[in-house]
Amino acid sequence: MASNRKYWSSVEELKPNSSIADTLKQNEFVEEIPTAEFLGNEEALGASSTSRRDFLKYVGFTTAAASLAACEGPVTKSIPYVVQPENIIPGVANYYATTIANGFDFSSILIKTREGRPIMVEHNKEAKINGSPNARVYASVLDLYDSLRVQGPKANGEYTSWDELDTQVVAALNSAKASGKQIALLTQTYASPSTKKLIAEFSQKFANVKHIQYDAISEDAALDAFESTYGQRALADYDFSKAEVIVSFAADFLGDWQGGGYDAGYAKGRIPTQGKMSRHIQFESNMSLTGANADKRVPLTPSELKIALAKFYGYLNGRSVTGSLPAHIDEAVKAAATQVARAGRNAVVVTGISDVNAQKVVLAINKTISSVVMDAEKPKLTRQGNVKALNQLVADMNAGQVGVLVTSNVNPLYTMANAAEFEAGLAKVDLSVAFSLKEDETASKTTYVAAAPHYLESWGDVEMKKGMYSLMQPTIRPLFNTRQFQDAILKWTGSSLNYHDYIKQTWETSILGLDSWNQALHDGVYESSLSVGETEQADAVAVETPQVEAEAAVVSVADAVRALAGTTPAEGMELTFYSKISMGDGQQANNPWLQELPDPLTRNTWDNYLTISMADAERLDFENYIEDNGGLNGSYAKVTVGDVTLDKVPVLIQPGQAKNTVGLSFGYGKKLGLKTPMQTGVNAYALYQGFDLTQQVKIEKVSGIHEFASVQMKSTMDGRGDILRETSLEIFNTKDSEHWNPQPVVSVNHAEVPADDATLWSTFDSSIGHHFNLSIDLNACTGCGACVIACHAENNVPVVGKSEVRKYRDMHWLRIDRYYSSEETFEGDMDMVEAAPNSISTYHKLEHPSENPQVAFQPVMCQHCNHAPCETVCPVAATSHGRQGQNQMVYNRCVGTRYCANNCPYKVRRFNWFRYNENDEFDFHMNDDLGRMVLNPDVVVRSRGVMEKCSMCIQMTQKTILDAKRDGRPIKDGEFKTACSAACSSGAMVFGDVNDKESEVVKQKASNRMYHLLGFKGTRPNVFYHTKIRNTEEV
Amino acid sequence: MASHYEAPIREPLVTGEKSYHDVTVDIAAPVEGRANKLWWIAFSIALVAFLWGIGCIIYTVSTGIGVWGLNKTIGWAWDITNFVWWVGIGHAGTLISAVLLLFRQKWRMAVNRSAEAMTIFSVVQAGLFPIIHMGRPWLAYWVLPIPNQFGSLWVNFNSPLLWDVFAISTYLSVSLVFWWTGLLPDFAMLRDRAVKPFQKKIYSLLSFGWTGRAKDWQRFEEVSLVLAGLATPLVLSVHTIVSFDFATSVVAGWHSTIYPPYFVAGAIFSGFAMVLTLLIIMRKVSNLEAYITRVHIEYMNKVILLTGGVVSVAYITEFFIAWYSGTNYEDYTYLSIGAATGPYWWAFWALIICNFIVPQTLWVKKLRRNFTWSFIVSIIINIGMWFERFDIIVINLSKGHLPSSWSMFSPTFVDVGIYLGTIGFFFVLFLLYARTFPVIAQAEIKTILKSSGERYKRMRDVEGKSIAGAAADPRTSNYSGTNTNSSDQATK
Repeated sequence: MASNRKYWSSVEELKPNSSIADTLKQNEFVEEIPTAEFLGNEEALGASSTSRRDFLKYVGFTTAAASLAACEGPVTKSIPYVVQPENIIPGVANYYATTIANGFDFSSILIKTREGRPIMVEHNKEAKINGSPNARVYASVLDLYDSLRVQGPKANGEYTSWDELDTQVVAALNSAKASGKQIALLTQTYASPSTKKLIAEFSQKFANVKHIQYDAISEDAALDAFESTYGQRALADYDFSKAEVIVSFAADFLGDWQGGGYDAGYAKGRIPTQGKMSRHIQFESNMSLTGANADKRVPLTPSELKIALAKFYGYLNGRSVTGSLPAHIDEAVKAAATQVARAGRNAVVVTGISDVNAQKVVLAINKTISSVVMDAEKPKLTRQGNVKALNQLVADMNAGQVGVLVTSNVNPLYTMANAAEFEAGLAKVDLSVAFSLKEDETASKTTYVAAAPHYLESWGDVEMKKGMYSLMQPTIRPLFNTRQFQDAILKWTGSSLNYHDYIKQTWETSILGLDSWNQALHDGVYESSLSVGETEQADAVAVETPQVEAEAAVVSVADAVRALAGTTPAEGMELTFYSKISMGDGQQANNPWLQELPDPLTRNTWDNYLTISMADAERLDFENYIEDNGGLNGSYAKVTVGDVTLDKVPVLIQPGQAKNTVGLSFGYGKKLGLKTPMQTGVNAYALYQGFDLTQQVKIEKVSGIHEFASVQMKSTMDGRGDILRETSLEIFNTKDSEHWNPQPVVSVNHAEVPADDATLWSTFDSSIGHHFNLSIDLNACTGCGACVIACHAENNVPVVGKSEVRKYRDMHWLRIDRYYSSEETFEGDMDMVEAAPNSISTYHKLEHPSENPQVAFQPVMCQHCNHAPCETVCPVAATSHGRQGQNQMVYNRCVGTRYCANNCPYKVRRFNWFRYNENDEFDFHMNDDLGRMVLNPDVVVRSRGVMEKCSMCIQMTQKTILDAKRDGRPIKDGEFKTACSAACSSGAMVFGDVNDKESEVVKQKASNRMYHLLGFKGTRPNVFYHTKIRNTEEV
Repeated sequence: MASHYEAPIREPLVTGEKSYHDVTVDIAAPVEGRANKLWWIAFSIALVAFLWGIGCIIYTVSTGIGVWGLNKTIGWAWDITNFVWWVGIGHAGTLISAVLLLFRQKWRMAVNRSAEAMTIFSVVQAGLFPIIHMGRPWLAYWVLPIPNQFGSLWVNFNSPLLWDVFAISTYLSVSLVFWWTGLLPDFAMLRDRAVKPFQKKIYSLLSFGWTGRAKDWQRFEEVSLVLAGLATPLVLSVHTIVSFDFATSVVAGWHSTIYPPYFVAGAIFSGFAMVLTLLIIMRKVSNLEAYITRVHIEYMNKVILLTGGVVSVAYITEFFIAWYSGTNYEDYTYLSIGAATGPYWWAFWALIICNFIVPQTLWVKKLRRNFTWSFIVSIIINIGMWFERFDIIVINLSKGHLPSSWSMFSPTFVDVGIYLGTIGFFFVLFLLYARTFPVIAQAEIKTILKSSGERYKRMRDVEGKSIAGAAADPRTSNYSGTNTNSSDQATK
C-alpha cells in the first residue's frame, strides 16, 4: 500500500484555505524585506563609504581568496571501520604466534600486527628450539608486501581462475593415473606432519605419486651420514651452551650450517662465568662468521680440510692416519685433538664438509666421546632434501615418464647446477604447476603458476625436531587470490576439508593427546612425546637392528677416515660456496632490507663476489682499491668449474681466506620476480655441481672494474685498541681489571680523577624516574645482524640502494663494525703501537689487515651520551636530552646543518640526503602502497633534509611505561626493550632502567668488563660495552 | 739644491703629479665613460658562472643535499670550505679601513674602497653557504631568535653556528655602513659631475644629500672614527667565531685552542691576497697606476708576509701538538704524517706549498715589489687558503675516532658549480661596482696629494720662479684640459 503521508511545517497548513499558509507558500521571507526603503534612501546610499574602488577591491580579494581556497591540500585516503573488528583496537598491537618454514629458515616466531597488518617479527619466548629468528626471518615480513608477488593463478602468463586450474590439474592427474605416468611433487622441506600425512593420502588416491623434497643448498651428505648411523633421515642437534671445546671443520654454525639457529647456545658458552668459557677452534677455507668468532682459526684448503679431519680422528683415537698436511696445520689439528680428548664429553666436533664420509666421521667422534653437546635422540627434521631422488626425477622427466609435476616453493631452474637438464625435462612433462610467491625462473616455465600465499597468510605445522612442534597461522587475510599448496592437494584429493581443519584434525588425533589445540595455537609451539604414525614406524624399523648397525658403523667409519685421508690435493684453486646471513638461498632476493644488510665480514651490500686471499690476488693480478670518493673497486674474474663459466665475477680480497681457495655466495644473480635494483650479483648455483660445496675451479682475470657498495672502508682498528677492548682469558682471570680494562682518568687540579667525575656542566638529577642504559657484551655478540634488520623494521629506516650505499649514505641506525687485526692478533697490534708509536712504518702496517687476522665485531648505535657533543652544536636545538637518558632527535625542528653528525665521535647520525619515500629514484618498498604497509605507525617517516638516528626505541619504552601506568603497577625488569635488544638471541644486548637497582642492566654495568666507547671523550654514554675475552689457552 | 732636509724614506703614494682635478677626473672616468670590450667579456663570463651557480643551487634545494658529494661521515665539505674561504677573504677590507685608519696609515686610502667592496661582496657569498648547506633551507629563519608560534621554542645559544649567524650579520652590517659612509663625499662628487638627469638622481640619492659643508666633513670624520673603533674588534671577532665552529667541537684536528688567532691571521692573509689580485688587475684596467703604486703592493706584501708567518707558526704548532699528544686518535689530523702520506696527500702538500713555502719568496725585496710575481703569489695564496679550509674540514672529518666510519669525499658537478657560481656572483658584483662606484676614495686621496714636493722643486729648478699658488694655477698642472669646473672645487 502506497504511503499517503503528508508532511507539514506549521499548524496553519493543516487548515484548509488558510491565507497564512498561502502567503507563506508564495513568499520566501516571512517579513517584507525593505529593499525599496533601502534603495530609496538616496542620501544614505550616497553617504555610504563603499566606493567603486572599494567594490573592485572586494571583488579582487574574494576572487583571489576563492581561487586560493580552491587549491586543495593533498588528499590522504583513509577508510574508517564501518564495523570495528573484534580484537582490533586502533593503536594497540596484537601478537600472534606463528612459524616461518620456507624450506631454508625454520623458526617459531611472534608476529606483531597493527590494525590488522603484520609489521614486525619478534622472538617467541615459548619456543625452546629455533625460537630466535635470524636477520632473514626478521626481514620476511616485508616479503609479504612484495609488489611483485603473483596475485592469482596464471596460465601462460595470463591470470586464470582456480576452478579452471583445478579442472585441468585433476584431469591431468587422472590421466597420469590411467596411463601409469608418474605424478611428482617437488617441494621444499616442509618437516610438517600434516603435509606428510596429506601427501600420503594423495599418493593413495593417485598411486604412482612421488614426493621429492629439495633443499637448494643441500645437506644431503649430513642427512645420509646421519641416516646410515642412526637410521633416520634427520640432522643431529647441538647445544653449544654445554660445550667446553668446539672444534669445527668448516661448519658455519653461526650462519646457516644445517639450518642454523645455534648462535644463542653458542653465545651462552662464550660469556666467561667463574673464569671459564668455551674454546672454539675453527678449520676452514672461507672466512665465515663462525671462523671470525673462533678463538683460533686455521685457514686451509678444502682438500686439506678433509685430511685434517681424518688426522684429527687419528690423533683422537690414537691411530695413525695417512695423508700429509703442512706442519702448522698438522700441529693445530693435533692440539685440537688433545683439547677435545681432555674435555671429553664436554667437547664437540662439527663439520660442514659436504661429504658423507666427513659427516660420518664427525658423528662417530661425537658418539665416541659421548658428547653432551650433540643430541641424536631428538634430531632436527628441518632439512629433508634428497639429491638421489631429485636426480631420479630429472632423469624421469627427461625420459617422459612424468605426467604431472607440482612444485612448491622451489625454484630448480635458478638453484640447480643442471637447470638446463631440468628445463628440458620440464618441457616433456604433460602438465606442470608451480606454487610460488613469484613468477620466478621455474614458475615462468610451468604450465600453471599457482599463486601461493606468504607464510603470514598460511596455515601450517612444523616438526622442527623430533617431538618439538610449531604451528603456523595466518596473521592477515590473504592479500591476493592465492591458495596454498596443501589446500590445493586437499582439493585435488577430493577432500572437503580445508588445510586448517586438516591440521587441527591431525594434531588432535595424533599429536596433542589431551592438550588443547587453542593453547598450542596460542603458544605457537608444542612439545609432544607422541609422533605421527609413519615416523614411529620408521623409528621402529631403525631400532630393530641396532647391534648390526653399530658394528657396521665402526667399519664404515674406518673406511670413511681412509677415504678422507686419501683425498688428493687439488690442482689449482678450490672454490667453497657459502650462504650469506643476508641472502641465504636467495628466495628473499627481492627484499631491499636484506639486500642492504651489510655482510658481517666483508661489510658489502647488494652483491656477491669471489673472495680471495691477498697472496692469490697478487699472483693472479686482481686488485681492490679505494676510489677518490671512498668507494671500493675490484677486478673481475672469469670463474670456470668443469664446463660452466661465470664471465664476470667481482673479486674481493678477503683476509683470512686460505691460499689457493676462493669463496662465492649463493643467493644472487636472480633475474625473474625482482625489481631491477635487486638483480645484482652472479648465480653461484650454476657452479654448484653435484651439490658439492667445494669445487675445483679455474680463475682468470678479465677486464673491467666492479664498483662495490661497502659500508666500511677501513678494515683495521688502526692500533686504537681502546675502541674494541679485548684480552685473553688468562689475563682476565689472573690480572686486575685496571690492567686490561682501564677506566679513563683526567687530571683535575693536578690529581687524576675518573673522567666521568670531571665536568664543566651542571648536571641534572637523573635518579628520578627511569634512566635507560643498554649493555652490549662483545663476547656474546656474534655479528649476526638480526638486530640491524629488527631496527630497520621497527623504526622505518629507509633503504637507499646500491649506488647510495657506495657513497656511504646507508641509513642504518645500528651498524655492526668489524675489525681485523693487522698482526696475527689484536694484541700484536697493540704491541706494535707501543714499540714504535707515531712512526710512519707503524702507520702503514696498521692500515692493512693480516693474512689471517683476528676478527672482532662491535654493534654501534647512538650512544645516547649524557654529555652529547651533538646537542651543544645544533643551532636550533633540534637534538636535546630526554629526562630518561635518551638523546632525542626532533625531526620537525631539524633544519639539516649536519653539524651534529660531524661532531658525533661515534658517527651514528644519518642524514636524509633525499626523500626516500614515494620517490621513483628509490624504488624500494617505501615507493609503493603495498610496501608501505610494513611501516610502523608508531614511528614517523622522516622527510628529506633532516637528521635521524637511533631513538633507543622511545616508542617502545613509552608504551611500556603507559601500560604499567594504566594497570597501576610497577614495571618489572625485562619489560623495557628496544628492537635490537629484543632481537638479540645471543643475549649480547641487555636493555633496562638503571634506576631500578635490581635490574639486569645494573648488574651488567657493575661488571669489571664494562667500558664506555671512547669514554675518555667525556661523553658519558648510556650505552656501554663489555670487554671481549678470547680463550687463547693452548694445550 | 734643497733648501732644507728632506727625508728620503717615504716614496710618494700618488705618482704622476696629479692635481686635485686630475684625481677627480681619473676616478670618475670609469663611471662616466663607456665600458670597454674587456669589461664586457669579463662580465659575461662572470654572469654565466653566476647563472650556472643559481641553477646548481635550485637543483640542490629542489632535490636534496644528496646531489653533493657528502656522506654520513663527511657532513660538510665544499660548502663550509667555501663559506670560511669567503669570510676570510672578507677580512682585509675591515682591517684596511678600520685598523689602518686608527693607525693613520695613509697608504690605505688608495685601496680601502675596493677592499671594502670586496669584503662586502665576499661576505655576501659566504652568507649564501650556511643557508644552502641546510637540508631544509626554507626553514633557515629558525636560526634567528625571533618570537614564534612554537611555544617557548628558542634557538640554542650554545651552538657556534648560532654565533656565526650573529657574527656574520654584524660584520656585514658594520662593513656596509662603514663603506657607505666613506662613499658619501665621492658619490656627491659623481652627482655633481653627472649630466644625465637619471644618473644625477641616482647619485644624489646615494650620497644622502651630502653638501660638502664643513659640518658635513666634521661629522664624516667623527663617524669614520667611531665606526673604525667599532669595526676593529670585529676584525678579530668574526673569524674567531668562525673558528669556534671547529674549535669547540670534539673532532680530532678541529678541537684546538690556537684556532682563533690562527684563523684571524689566516683570514687577513687570504684577504690581502685577494685585494692584491683584484687591485693589480684593476690598476691596469681602470688606469689607476698613479694611485695604486708599487709602494702599495709592497706594503700589502709585507702584511701578507707577517700574517703568513703567523699562519706558518700555527701549522707547525698543530703538527707538533698532534704528534706530542701521543694519542693515535690524532694520527690522521690535517697536519700530521698520516695526512701527508694518506689519500689526501695532495691537499696536504697543496696547503704547505701554497701557504708556507711560496709566500717566503716575499722576503726578497725585488720580488715583493714586482707586480707580476705579487699577482702570482696572491693567486697561489688564495688557492692555498682554500685548501687549508678543505683540509681542516674534509681530512679531519674523513678520519675520525672510529676507523670503521672513515670515508672519503669527492665533489659532484653541483659542488663545483655552486663554488664557481659564487665566484661568478662575486665578480658580477665587483665588475658592476667598478663601473658605477668611485673605486678610490678620491676625497681622502686628495688629502695626501701634497705629501711630495718633487714637482714644485722641479718647477723651481726649471723655471726658477716663485711657486706660490701653483696648485690653483691650471698652467702648472699636467692636465691640459680647460674644464676646471666648480664642482671639483665644491667637493674638495
